[in-house]
Amino acid sequence: MTPTPSGMDIALSGAAVRFGTFQAVHPTDLTIEAGEFFSILGPSGCGKTTILRLLSGFLDPSEGEVRIGGQPMAGIGPSDRPTALIFQNLALFPLMTVWENVAFGLEMRGWKTARRRARAFELLDMVALGGQGDKLPSELSGGQRQRVAIARALAVEPAVLLLDEPLSALDLKLRQHMRAELKQLQETTGITFVYITHDQGEALTMSDRVAVMNRGRIVQVGSADDVYDRPATAFVATFVGEMNRLPGRIESVAEGRARIATAGGSFLAPNPGGLAPGAEAVLFLRPERLHLLAPGEAAANVLEGGLVRRDMEGAFSTLIVETGAGRLTVQRVNSGSGGLPAGPLRLGFADRAGVILPAGETADDAA
Amino acid sequence: MTRLRRSFGAPLAALIVLLTGIWVLGLIAAPQVIMIEQSLWKMDRPAGADELSVQIDRLYNRLDMLALDRAAARTLSTPSATDAKLAQIDAERAAVAAEIADLETRESTPVRTWTLTNYAQMGQAHLRIFAKTILAALAVTAIAFAVCYPIAFAIAKLEPPRRAALIMLALVIPYAINELLRVFAWQMILNYGGPLNAALGLLGIGPVPFLESGSGVFVAMVYAYILFMVFPLYNVLETLDMNQIEAARDLGAKTWQIHRRIVLPHARPGIAVGCIMTFMLSAGSYSVPYIMTRGTAAPWFAQLVYNRFFQASDWNVGAAYAVSLLAVCTGFVFLMMRLLKVRLRDIAK
Amino acid sequence: MTRTGSGLLLRIYMGVFFLYMFLPLAIMVAAGFNDYSPPSVTVWKGFTLHWFTELWQDRRMWSGLANSVLIAGAVIALALPMGLAGALLLGRLGSRAAGVLYTAMVSPLLTPGIILGISTVIFWRGLDVSAGLFTAILAQTTFIASYTMLMFMARLQRQDGALEEAALDLGATPFQAFRRITLPFLRPTILTAAVIAFLQSFENYNTTMFAIGGEHTLVTEIGSRMRFGLSPAINALGILFILATVAFALAWAALKAHERRAAEQAT
Repeated sequence: MTPTPSGMDIALSGAAVRFGTFQAVHPTDLTIEAGEFFSILGPSGCGKTTILRLLSGFLDPSEGEVRIGGQPMAGIGPSDRPTALIFQNLALFPLMTVWENVAFGLEMRGWKTARRRARAFELLDMVALGGQGDKLPSELSGGQRQRVAIARALAVEPAVLLLDEPLSALDLKLRQHMRAELKQLQETTGITFVYITHDQGEALTMSDRVAVMNRGRIVQVGSADDVYDRPATAFVATFVGEMNRLPGRIESVAEGRARIATAGGSFLAPNPGGLAPGAEAVLFLRPERLHLLAPGEAAANVLEGGLVRRDMEGAFSTLIVETGAGRLTVQRVNSGSGGLPAGPLRLGFADRAGVILPAGETADDAA
Repeated sequence: MTRLRRSFGAPLAALIVLLTGIWVLGLIAAPQVIMIEQSLWKMDRPAGADELSVQIDRLYNRLDMLALDRAAARTLSTPSATDAKLAQIDAERAAVAAEIADLETRESTPVRTWTLTNYAQMGQAHLRIFAKTILAALAVTAIAFAVCYPIAFAIAKLEPPRRAALIMLALVIPYAINELLRVFAWQMILNYGGPLNAALGLLGIGPVPFLESGSGVFVAMVYAYILFMVFPLYNVLETLDMNQIEAARDLGAKTWQIHRRIVLPHARPGIAVGCIMTFMLSAGSYSVPYIMTRGTAAPWFAQLVYNRFFQASDWNVGAAYAVSLLAVCTGFVFLMMRLLKVRLRDIAK
Repeated sequence: MTRTGSGLLLRIYMGVFFLYMFLPLAIMVAAGFNDYSPPSVTVWKGFTLHWFTELWQDRRMWSGLANSVLIAGAVIALALPMGLAGALLLGRLGSRAAGVLYTAMVSPLLTPGIILGISTVIFWRGLDVSAGLFTAILAQTTFIASYTMLMFMARLQRQDGALEEAALDLGATPFQAFRRITLPFLRPTILTAAVIAFLQSFENYNTTMFAIGGEHTLVTEIGSRMRFGLSPAINALGILFILATVAFALAWAALKAHERRAAEQAT
């Protein structure tokens, strides 16, 4: 086993990147704790890969500073940083055998052949590729190649492992399996993981904390629960998970909550931004927070509508319901009771279920 | 063959086989085989020519004897005996003369003799030119590689793709301009009264007889063939994934280590093509020495081959020279393929 | 950063390389306009187009040009069908036989040009055909067919085999399938191959010089004149060659850009 190297913390202070006139990353402050599994989530082109390149040392910030383990990284190239990078396409060296790939970093550090070969096979054992060392990368399956890339990065005993969407080439099943493996690896090694992805599922399942990025800015940093349940902006609300949108105007505010008038009625929901009455706003509502109300059943917020379509998806079913506020998506756990009552549907949701945010750019606009 | 017939139908399949056959056998293989065959024989005096000449001498003696006999026969007593004897002697003289004529044609008609002496004909002076030509070709190849590798790498990996395409287009122009013109430009530059000597004159040097000393040939050869190295190298380097280089750097490789372990191994097929083309063109170059030396400096090997054929008209020795050159070039191809571990398939672009 | 430092060094190196590539040609071009013979740039007697008129009146150059075009036409007529046949055959052979055939077919590209010329002359001399335009055509075809073969092979490798099978399945005979599916698919390559074959033939010196006997082409004639560089008419001809090359390269680039745009619009 690896003699658990401790991870290092990372600090960006005012770090920004400009390519010509294009501001790829706006001045950013960000702290990543030592030993943390930290994800940066965002659509393609949002600047997340640029941040990764700042950390790995392939790019210098146009302004601001990057510190790793407390040390300023200015003038230190990728070779000399305590980081190791796993590329999106893995970048395994096709002409070297698997073990030579793993031992490459050690070779560059001047290790003798026998010693680095032994170490490479140890690492390969660790990622369950013990017998594959003498093959070429092209002879391995996608998941195996993934593990080779991980072993190769771990060989140089980095304090920070940077992962650039490494699972995107794998099929769904393997991807889910590798998530668990990566998480476990991070826990056993104690290395700081910085994981770049546009796949919210990956970010939410593995990370201790997630940063959501859009247009060169980090718009929210928090735990998976924070980001999912308490989005800070319209963009985060719509980028992470499914979301119903009910635009309207604030009627009244009280105790962190507000009443918003929409085309489908007036509803009570949390108002984290402290919007004032009269403000244009949007009520965001997760499909699974909307319930079908039995006749006579009461709820904090109620609206009515007609069923347009029902998609049976196994564990749950998705209902598309036409309401006064537009078409809403409702997700319903499959209880085995089968079909729906005929006639109009009554939908209800709790007064903490949604969130009212100022109207702003959403993920659909960005895409 | 059945696959061919099924794909194209019998008539078209036959045409395909016929055309390929004419090309591969008639144009490629047969001339090479005949050239090699020609290099392996020469026209020589027939075997046993010495005995033949002894025999011919003996027959001439016999003829002289018969002439004496004939003179003696005139003095015979009876006219009838004389006539008989004379007739007998004349008949024998005719027979001997005929035999002489026959032997003489056999003695003087050369016969085709299988031999390796055509190769041995090369002699000290020509062997030295051969060696000089090969060494120069190796040097041209090495220089071309050393000069072109950074260029090809910089264009392929450091320039933005649009600019790279533009630069390559710009390089196509000198590449496509006739070899002779490229050589001629250097003949002008290096001429005794040319711009280079004029420039050196300003520095108080020279004039240097570049052309007459033969050094001009080398300079022009590098210039004429260097682009045959750039294009193959560029083509393979362009396919190298930039992530490979970054991954190596991230793992701690220094620039020279990245080149040694990642870039050069990837570039092997391009290196092989570039080196083979440059070497082959330089070793077999006729135009460059022909134009650059103006006959004032020692000839290069391709000129020797030309002279054997078209001036000395000694086709057998000429063929032997050509086969020697072919052998060296073929050897070089195999050497590069072995050294760089590439197959012929990888070589074709 | 040090990276930008080495980048600058590389830039300078590239600049020097380009200067090295183009300056000699510029000198040659300049001498073509200099009213001084033999060709020179160190003695400048003023601008003239005189050498172009001298070139125009040179009858041997014209006959050389005619021979060059004749040879190139014949080479295209031979090398294209042969190269195509070779490429088609290659695709239908087992890997072992294909390997041998492939080696034979690319070998002329790895053989010095003078050897191709000489061996052709020797071969035909044995059949009592002396060196001339005919042997020059055959010697050039030997290696130019290798180029066309490689081009056709590259194109055929990109062909979707299912198309031909679909045609056969719909009742086409193999010949019809070839004529209606494969040949149209190859058309752009046929054009490109013809252009490349023409240029290769027209510009060839080494092979032609050894194969052509007492005849001459434009390029062999230039070669024999250049040796002594007596008249700047050679420079004038060089200028025409350069102009033709540049025009051709630009036209080629424009065509490629056009094709790319068309392809982008199609997708």
